[in-house]
Amino acid sequence: MGVATRRVGLHEDTAATVIGLAIVAMALAVTWWACPAERPASREKWPKGWPTPLSRTIDKPQTWSDSPLASFRDKQGKPVAVPILLGGAWVVAVAVAGASLGGRPVARMLPGAAALAVLAALAYLLSAQQVIHFYNLEYPLWALMIGVLLGNVVGVPPWLERALAGEFLIKTGLVVFGAEVLVGRLLELGLPGLLTAWVVTPIVLVTTYWCGVHIMKIPSKSLCMVISADMSVCGVSAAIATGAACRAKKEELSLAIGLSLLFTVIMMVAMPPAIGWLGLDPIVGGAWIGGTIDATGAVVAAGESLGKEAGEVAATVKMIQNSMIGIIAFAVAVYWAGWVDHSGGPRRGSLLAEAWRRFPRFILGFLAASIACSWLFSLSPAHALWVDGTTTGFTSRLRGWLFCSGFVCMGLQTNFRELAPVLASGRPLVLYVGGQCLNLVLTLAMASLTFGWLFRKAVEP
Amino acid sequence: MTPSAPLRLALVAAAIGAVWGVALPWLGRCPMIVRHVTAMESRDVNPAAMYYTELDRLPLRPSWIEDRVVLWP
Repeated sequence: MGVATRRVGLHEDTAATVIGLAIVAMALAVTWWACPAERPASREKWPKGWPTPLSRTIDKPQTWSDSPLASFRDKQGKPVAVPILLGGAWVVAVAVAGASLGGRPVARMLPGAAALAVLAALAYLLSAQQVIHFYNLEYPLWALMIGVLLGNVVGVPPWLERALAGEFLIKTGLVVFGAEVLVGRLLELGLPGLLTAWVVTPIVLVTTYWCGVHIMKIPSKSLCMVISADMSVCGVSAAIATGAACRAKKEELSLAIGLSLLFTVIMMVAMPPAIGWLGLDPIVGGAWIGGTIDATGAVVAAGESLGKEAGEVAATVKMIQNSMIGIIAFAVAVYWAGWVDHSGGPRRGSLLAEAWRRFPRFILGFLAASIACSWLFSLSPAHALWVDGTTTGFTSRLRGWLFCSGFVCMGLQTNFRELAPVLASGRPLVLYVGGQCLNLVLTLAMASLTFGWLFRKAVEP
Repeated sequence: MTPSAPLRLALVAAAIGAVWGVALPWLGRCPMIVRHVTAMESRDVNPAAMYYTELDRLPLRPSWIEDRVVLWP
């Protein structure tokens, strides 16, 4: 009789939290160790924060127009093939660490993890094509497409299937992402910015969700939540965070992201001429764009086409909205655990105890990273540059790789047949369009009130 | 008869190669796209940024804004 062995490992949420927080702590430590000797508190000298040596260990394919080979050189012509290769190696390292902490055999999933990193690099390469890049069709779309194509046309071999840990990679990416969600950024545009981003966004989110569930009777509450969040907050990143908080299905998250990217392109192209046609003040127009277009890059692109000032206001309003992700993901997780999710069987004990039992614990890791980095950021201008350098130079890139490989996994495991009845009804599209119309009207009203009238100074003659 | 897995993979790769290797570069030479790309490049805008930390310039409070808007009444 053989001896039965049982591998004991951490829960996926706990492993994602431990690994994510360890990465953030390591990145902050390395950037601190490499603190610049010259003017470390000068934003003029270091506009994107202190340079971190870790930025040399990770990058992604650069924009290319005719030959994909051009994506292995940056704007200055410097080769970036090694940092791209190392970016894939980070994905493998995180996957291995996750398997190890989760008590799964590491050796058997290594070839699959390496293949996953290659597929993520391919998704990045496709998204870096000039036309795709400048029209904001972001990498999640191509990562999902590659996964869906491979999964449905060729099939997933067992050696690759063993490495498919999409949810774990996305959760770890979200914990790392917490370092970028800085509460101090909320105050960047004072009360007008707060009112534009913080009054309209929750109203639109809650109203759209309520309409989806109660009026349009969409059967999946999590689909309503993910569509409402990506439309009202900030597109793909909000969809990922709230989708994880309300345990949305892969197919639902894919659908919400697809809708968001489609309408982002339309609004990026249509809003600047519409603002010109309406004769809006550029500051008000910028605030309107910042509060309504989903993706940050598209906001800047649309805002800048109205002028430099409008572009700056649009980007800053969007950044304030970006900073809401932590609070919204936490609120959604609490609401879901307490009132919506009954998947864990009948309620045991008090509502609070039950909510805690069902709560997605990695959200606490996400909040811990956000609170710690927000606190460090607030200490002094030098500390702010330390945090900015760490996030812009390393954690945002690693988070991108983890999301990208997570989306490849999701594509490989997606079964769109499950969504067919809902898709055929067209209700998710109607929900998105209806919510976005409400968003456009309320944000225009609030931007006109705050930036155009209430807090507008007379310009000195 | 359903084609074998390697053949299906080759067909998918060829389709991706045709779109990204031929169609998109051709589209990228259309005047409307060229104008959009040139405008974005000249302003250092990264339209593909998912979050503000991915922008080429961090969107910090514009220096002129306090002359135009009351931030904290």
